[in-house]
Amino acid sequence: MSAILDGRVGDAAIEEPNYDGEFDAVVVGAGLAGSAAALTMADRGLEVLLIERGSSPGAKNVFGGVLYTPTIRELVDLEDAPLERYVAEKRFSMLSHDDETALSISPGEWRREPHNDSYTVLRGEFDEWFAEQAVDAGATLVTETTVTGLLREGREVVGVETDRPDGGVEAPYVVLAEGANSLVGEGANLKATESRENVAVAAKEVLEFPNGENVIEDRFRLFGDAGVSYHYFGEGAVGEAFGGGFIYTNGDTVSVGVAYRLEDAAANDQSPEETLNLFKSHPRVAPLLRDARTVEYSAKTIPEGGAESVPDLAHDGAVIVGDAAGLVLNNGVHLEGTNMAVESGYHAGRVIADANARGRTDADALEAYGRALEESFVVKNLERYAWLQETVEEDRELLFETMPTAFADAGAEYFRMDREPKAEHASRAKRAVVDALGGWRGLAKLALRYRKVVT
Amino acid sequence: MSAQPDVPQITNDSIEDRLYTVKYQDPGESHLDVKVPDVCARCTTNDCVSVCPANVWREGDDGVPHIAYENCLECSSCRFACTYDNVVWEYPETGAGVTFKMG
Ligand SMILES: Cc1cc2nc3c(=O)[nH]c(=O)nc-3n(C[C@H](O)[C@H](O)[C@H](O)COP(=O)(O)OP(=O)(O)OC[C@H]3O[C@@H](n4cnc5c(N)ncnc54)[C@H](O)[C@@H]3O)c2cc1C
Ligand code: SF4
Ligand code: SF4
Repeated sequence: MSAILDGRVGDAAIEEPNYDGEFDAVVVGAGLAGSAAALTMADRGLEVLLIERGSSPGAKNVFGGVLYTPTIRELVDLEDAPLERYVAEKRFSMLSHDDETALSISPGEWRREPHNDSYTVLRGEFDEWFAEQAVDAGATLVTETTVTGLLREGREVVGVETDRPDGGVEAPYVVLAEGANSLVGEGANLKATESRENVAVAAKEVLEFPNGENVIEDRFRLFGDAGVSYHYFGEGAVGEAFGGGFIYTNGDTVSVGVAYRLEDAAANDQSPEETLNLFKSHPRVAPLLRDARTVEYSAKTIPEGGAESVPDLAHDGAVIVGDAAGLVLNNGVHLEGTNMAVESGYHAGRVIADANARGRTDADALEAYGRALEESFVVKNLERYAWLQETVEEDRELLFETMPTAFADAGAEYFRMDREPKAEHASRAKRAVVDALGGWRGLAKLALRYRKVVT
Repeated sequence: MSAQPDVPQITNDSIEDRLYTVKYQDPGESHLDVKVPDVCARCTTNDCVSVCPANVWREGDDGVPHIAYENCLECSSCRFACTYDNVVWEYPETGAGVTFKMG
């Protein structure tokens, strides 16, 4: 029946004409969540079809970024994985239009294995490698094939429809791992379309430095495989918008980008591309990027709705994993989605294998996946910061505009070199912060309100 | 922007040059459209235009945006941004469209 396997990757040509009933599970999307699910199920003996719309896994994927590996390293041997650098320094920086105030963290522990499970990667390479691991475990991968809808029998999901001729594939289980732009899940009413207040737009460039050797090592004070992840907030990063800028070092390139709420992008005359240009030109950012050449420009959305946006994860015959399920934590200090994608794919795969052994495909049986996620760091972390979105929205001006300037002013005052006694400088510095943030009372309130971000 | 002391000039590629950095296979027809042109004609915010990082959506003379779909990076921002839910957004067929080498 199905001609879909024409798109099968590798040298496995189609030998049998009929594949309906051949697969126990179909996974929609060979991103991190999809490949994790496929690998987990294949490891447990299930016949898995992994469908990816790109010409190879990763060809359509964009992130910052840093891959967080605590779960993936339990599933595969990362020894040969295309990792760029480990993160040896995290830097959080507040930018006003021309000031910077920053905090840098670089524990010695991060330079030692397993490097706090944080590595920069390029998704075009990493996702392809990870999908290959699923194939090695026994999964079948088809690329250049887009899932266009779900096959239903009543409420039950019984397979997928694709854009290949005769492209339907039946299977007892479908894993929706299609990422933030979840057309299939939304089209089948398994989840609602996220509202734009909860979605960020990101514009990114990968840059190289054609002139000179060791430019990245020298500019970012690196040696060997060490790398950095720099995070920028405030007016100098993304204007008045709710979001930030980033710089990550890869092996021979750096990734630079901005990400902020669509709501703000819609209200601004400035396009995301222009916002990126301004960020790159900031007096404290430009020196890091001078003489660089753009090797790739890309863009993507980030679902940021947090715990409240997570849809029903288990349905009759189907589960939703990764970004498609809104599993991203972005609270300013943490931007994590890769670890949640893999964790969710793993639990989904495990639960499906269990259910399959018991001959169950109903939502009640698959609900064990939702419960596993609730007990894991994924939902716990999302719930922990559920309050943050609204609070930050209320304090937006204070946090992104007033504070970066206030801290820079305070720093300038505190260290001012003149003929006045230091006591004068110190009290002026203190006043710069206290006044800007609404007096001692305001400051105490603010500290109380945000203490849970770091404690 | 006025020049600041000791800040190197950053030269940014134009959007055209930026789009040249990604591989693109033309699916032959647009994967993007508007559902009801009249809604666009009456829409004053043109959020689809404001949020697009690739200059795909452009304000048209009749108020209905012109869509340069070949520029699309498939980020999906326009789909979420339109408050009238007036964007038709489909994936380009069989892997056509943009291919990122790095992402
Ligand atoms: C700019 C940016 C920066 C980020 N930075 C970080 C970071 O530094 N660290 C971090 O941990 N997280 C980061 N994230 C979040 C992280 O990238 C995501 O959480 C993660 O990629 C989610 O993985 P996924 O597998 O769920 O989805 P995706 O990676 O989006 O994969 C979905 C896959 O499904 C395929 N697909 C979609 N629809 C179909 C269909 N209908 N048929 C066939 N295939 C389909 C896609 O082509 C894709 O391969 C960032 C995100 C962005 C956008
Ligand atoms: S697509 Fe939406 S935002 Fe764009 S012009 Fe039409 S109605 Fe307005
Ligand atoms: S998907 Fe992104 S790049 Fe494509 S038209 Fe929409 S906003 Fe522009």
